[in-house]
Formats: sequence, structure tokens, C-alpha cells
Amino acid sequence: MTERNEFFNTIRQALGPQTEAPNLTGTGSSALGDNSDAVSARSQAIQAYIDEQSGPLMDSLSESATGAGWKVARFDDLDKAGDHIVGIVRDVEANLVVRSRQDVLESGIVEAWLASLGVDVVPMALGEHSEHTVDELRSLAERADIGITGVDYAIAETGSCVLIPSAQVSRLVSLLPPIHIAIVQRGQVLPTLDELFTIRRRDFLDGNLGSYMNLISGPSRSADIEYTLVTGVHGPGEVHMILVG
Amino acid sequence: MQSHTKDFRQGAGAALSDPKIQANLEGLYNGFHQARIDASDQTPDWEALQDKGRAIKAHTLDNLAYYLEMVERNVIASGGHIYFARDAEAASNYVVNLAKERGIELVIKGKSMVSEEMALNHRLEEEGIEPVETDLGEYIVQLAEETPFHIIAPAIHKSRGEVSELFVEKLNVPLYDNIEDLTREARDQLRQKFVDAGMGITGANFIVAETGTVTLVTNEGNGRMCTSMPKIHVAITGMEKVVPSIEDLGLFLRLLIRSATGQRISSYVTTVTGPRGEDEVDGPEEFHLVIVDNGRSKMLADPNLREALYCLRCGACLNACPVYRKVGGHAYGWVYPGPIGAIVSPMLTNLSEAKDLPFASTLCGACKEACPVKINIPRMLLYLRKELTQGETYPEHKSVSMAESTAVKGWRASVSSSFMMRLSNLGGRLLQLPFVRGGRIDRLPSPLSGWTKHRKFPAIASKPFRTRWKNIGKK
Repeated sequence: MTERNEFFNTIRQALGPQTEAPNLTGTGSSALGDNSDAVSARSQAIQAYIDEQSGPLMDSLSESATGAGWKVARFDDLDKAGDHIVGIVRDVEANLVVRSRQDVLESGIVEAWLASLGVDVVPMALGEHSEHTVDELRSLAERADIGITGVDYAIAETGSCVLIPSAQVSRLVSLLPPIHIAIVQRGQVLPTLDELFTIRRRDFLDGNLGSYMNLISGPSRSADIEYTLVTGVHGPGEVHMILVG
Repeated sequence: MQSHTKDFRQGAGAALSDPKIQANLEGLYNGFHQARIDASDQTPDWEALQDKGRAIKAHTLDNLAYYLEMVERNVIASGGHIYFARDAEAASNYVVNLAKERGIELVIKGKSMVSEEMALNHRLEEEGIEPVETDLGEYIVQLAEETPFHIIAPAIHKSRGEVSELFVEKLNVPLYDNIEDLTREARDQLRQKFVDAGMGITGANFIVAETGTVTLVTNEGNGRMCTSMPKIHVAITGMEKVVPSIEDLGLFLRLLIRSATGQRISSYVTTVTGPRGEDEVDGPEEFHLVIVDNGRSKMLADPNLREALYCLRCGACLNACPVYRKVGGHAYGWVYPGPIGAIVSPMLTNLSEAKDLPFASTLCGACKEACPVKINIPRMLLYLRKELTQGETYPEHKSVSMAESTAVKGWRASVSSSFMMRLSNLGGRLLQLPFVRGGRIDRLPSPLSGWTKHRKFPAIASKPFRTRWKNIGKK
């Protein structure tokens, strides 16, 4: 008998006689039994809700994100947000900025903001989109003073930014530099974790789950020594959430 | 990990007489414990969430084979590898062989309690592979060549002064006197390790069956580093960590994080589904999930203990427990300390050797009250105590001597009727004669000496209460 079958035999013996397909109703679980249409319907209802409630959701996010340790600033449009970001970059005397390539950042807007400061801006991308190899990109991200990203979603309940890595989104931009700036646009804010995971389930059923997702909720922190809070352990110690719209 | 559960009394004594450990444990209570209470108070319908979480855990474990096969299918579909390890040794062999095959020299590790069960660091070192713990607390514990003191705060028993001295000794750095500098030093030391390592090993807080997704909850960012920097990511976890759907994660993240640290959410929640996608900018090229039994099926098979597998490893019962708060984590002698550890450690190691652990509780119920999935820990502790004395399910672990069980049988017979009671009373009065001094018994001979070591017994009265009562009635 293979190791794997032996493993499962032990479990089956431990469980005793049972049906192979469990009854999923009544467990309180979000019912795996739901068909794809039901998940789609819920997902669409969420989309409609967050569009309709985008203003109040931004207000609520602003409060929870501040509580989670983000430095939150809110602007009517991207240009004004740009002035604020230029201020942050100038204050810390940054020399090198890395950015991800979500739509909001792809028009060259970051480069335009930072041109006057003479700061290098490197978009983290591969192949035709970049002059750098993977290893070069990684060492650039390690040396960078600031990482700038958009977000896929934000969550009002917890003050979180959600980043789903892809060809446009590197894992490292929001991780290696000591400062992370995340730009959240109106309409991207979900009420709670539950709506996020319903949408992600829809993505999974569509074959678009991707390999990775990060919920980022404030600075990197630890209380491992004497229960005393310190920030900036392995991830960024300073995080800015810029709300636009 | 080598078990020292049989040395509980010694370990507890050492912790009790160490004022530094006592002071650090006090901080834990005022910190984590109070934060958990505040967080659950502020969460609407907390109790409904607990009930729902418990129901899902019960359902998943009752159908564990079904859900583990679902995990297997989906991990493979996402391009990952999966290995089911019967025990700690099989799991270690898999990881060590993989590292050797890929020519790995340096492994970075996020926090994984299961890897402590496996003594994985030791196994890697034997093969000439350097394992580096990257959670700040685990890093300190590794440098000090100790074991974790608490599930979520492994080095909470050490003061900043001790950590500073440790860093001077092991890292050859100046003496820092504040925690910020110590943390920055650890960050700098570990950053280069992240860059150089060929393999990242993490635990998993949850495995989602439906999608084959591993979920990691961290605050420092080391979990993200371990899953972003090296070419290979290996997640190792116990088989009880499965939840059915990705839609269950919101609930379980709330229950776990609010109970562990009182935060609404930790700084980072990371989900990993297989290796990096083909067009992704970065991420590991290989993903392996190792799911470990290592004695868990024993608890699964016993209806009296199955609910111990609902545990989310939040540590809330440790912080709530009046015994843990005094004796600390090391006294328990194995990976899992505290009230839940007093059940899990004996079952995953050897119940007979760990026989002091189920008794290291006042049965006050604080653990049950603190538990996010309402695990009835006191009930299981009582059950294990009963097993240790009567051995109905685990006769091999019955650890009461023939003399003691004969004595208890004799006691039972002596109170079974009023005649026997009178007879034994008379016998007792005669037998105690050589030991009575001034109406008290100061010292009894072995094997009864333990009873009189720390206290004096009143002698059995020359006239039993029954007789006196009769006389009072007559007056």
C-alpha cells in the first residue's frame, strides 16, 4: 500500500463508517454546495452595493485604516494625491522608488510626479515591459526607499488593502522597501472580509484566483520582546493609504 | 521534538521560583488576555461567530478524509505538490530530501509549530543545511537554543536585557538597550538570509479545501518574505487545519486573530495557491504542501477527544489559564503548552509520560470561556485523568500502582455500608495511635508520608460524630 493510501486509511478508520459525500447543509459553512450561479449572483450584488455605497465605504475605510496604523490622506483627484506623494518622497529624501503597474499607475503618472525631484522610478515588470532581469528587479526592490502600488480592493471592516500579484503586480513592491504607499480609488472598498472572499470564490470558479493574495493592514509590527509594540520588522514600517475620489 | 513532559513538576518549580519569568508572564495576562476580551466585546454577535466556527470545524473533521482529498486535488490542479506524512519523521524526511535534491544550503522559516514537532531544524542541521527562524520571537529562541515559550509569543519569557546579551554573544553586535534597536538588528541580520535562501518553510493557519489554498497570518512580514523570496516554498501543517470553502476564511480570520492578539486583523494575511503563475513578476517556482498526522488520528478516532482538533492555535487559553500564567510554557515539556497543550501534547507523545499535564489545571473553565470555538477543555482534562486512573480506552496508559488502586478499592468498600464505616472508623482509631501527638498527626510513614509532608492532619476523633449526634439528640 502506498504511503498516501495508508494515511487515508488511518483517517477513515478513525472516522468510522460514514458517507463519502458529506451533507453540507446545516453546517453553517458558506455551503460548498452553492452552485456557480448562486456565487455569481452574490458577487454581482456586492459589486452593486459597493458602487452605490462608495462614499460611506471610503469614510469607514479612512477610520479603520487609521486605527490599523496607516497614515491616511484623502483627495478629490489623482493630481492632488500626486502633490501629497511628492511631499512624502521629498521628506524622506528618497532616491529610488519602485512601483507596481496597476492601471492607476500605468499612465506614467508617478514618473511625472517625481520628475522634478530627480528620483528614479522603476516599474516592476518582466519581459517586454522592462529593461531589467528578474534578479535586477529584486535587487532594485531591496534598495528602493519607497514602493508605490494601487490596490485590487480595500476593506472597510479591517482597514486593509488587498493586493493580488500578477504580471502587473510584484509581490515585492509592498514588502521590501521601508515605506509603502497604496492608492485606493473610490469603488474599490468592500464592507467586510466576507465580501472579499465571496468575490475571490467567484474568481476561483472563473479560473482567475491567481497564486497569491496579500491583505495588508498597517505597518509590519511585532510585540515579541516584552510585549512592546515595534514597527518595521521585515515589512515596511511606514505605510500610507491615499484615498482618491 | 524530544518530549520532557514527565518533568512537569521540576519545570513548574523552576518557573515559579524565577521572578523574571513571573514578571514577564504577568505582562502577557495584562496584554494579550485583556486585548482578547476587548476585541470579542467589540465584535457584533461574537458568540454566534463562535458557534458557527465550531460547527464548521466539527463538520470538517467529521468528514476529514473527504476534505483532505479535496485539498489534494486542488493543490495539484494549482501546480503544487502535496505530501501526506504519517508521522514527524516521514514529514522531516520529505523536506530534507527535497532540500538535498535541490541543492539547498540555507532555509528560511516562518513560524510553524508542526516543524517543532518534527524537530525539523535539527534534522536539517544534521544534513548540513542551515535553517534560520525569521519570526522575531522564534529567531531569539533559536539563537538561545531554547524552545518556544508561548504559541504566538515564543520569546515572551525573555527580557530586553537578556535579548541584548544574547545578541552580543551570538551575533557579535554592540549591546543595545532598547527594543527598537534590537528589532532593527534582527531585521538587518535576517534580510540577507531572505535574499540568499533557496527554500522558505512556513506553517499554515488554514488550508482551504475547495481551492487548495494555504492561509498565513503574520504581523512582522516574515511569512510574506518566506513565500516571496526563495525559489521553493514548503508549507507544513497538521491535518486538522482544513476549512471547506474560501468563503469560510472571513469567519475564521476574525475568530483566530481577535482571540490571539485582540487585533481586528493582523498586519498581513497571505493566501498561497500553488507556485507563481507563469506571467507573474516574482514568487516561488515550486510549492509543496506537507500535511501531517503524527498522532492526530488518535484524537480523531476518540469521540471524547476529537474536539481538541478544532483548535485554531490562537493561544487564548494559555493567557487565560491561572496555571499557565504561573508555570509558563517550558514546564509543559513539549510543543504545545497550556490547557489545550495538556490534552494535545500527551496524545501526540506519550500519555503515561505526560501524566502530570491533565492534572495541571484547576478546572476553573477559563480556557473554555476564552476559546474562540468553545472547545470544552476541562471536560477532556477530566477524561484524561480518568483514563490515567482507570484506563478504559487506553489501558496501556493506566498509570496507577497496584497498591494505590487496592487502597482506593479498600476505601470504597469502607464507606459502602454503615457497618463497614463503623468498622473502618474503629480500625483507623487503633492504627493512628502511634502517630497522634496532641490531637494531630504530624507524620505518617511511607507511602502515606506525602500527605503529611506539608500539613498536619487532625486525628480521627475518639467518638465519631454519629455517636455525638445521638447524644445531643437525647439532651
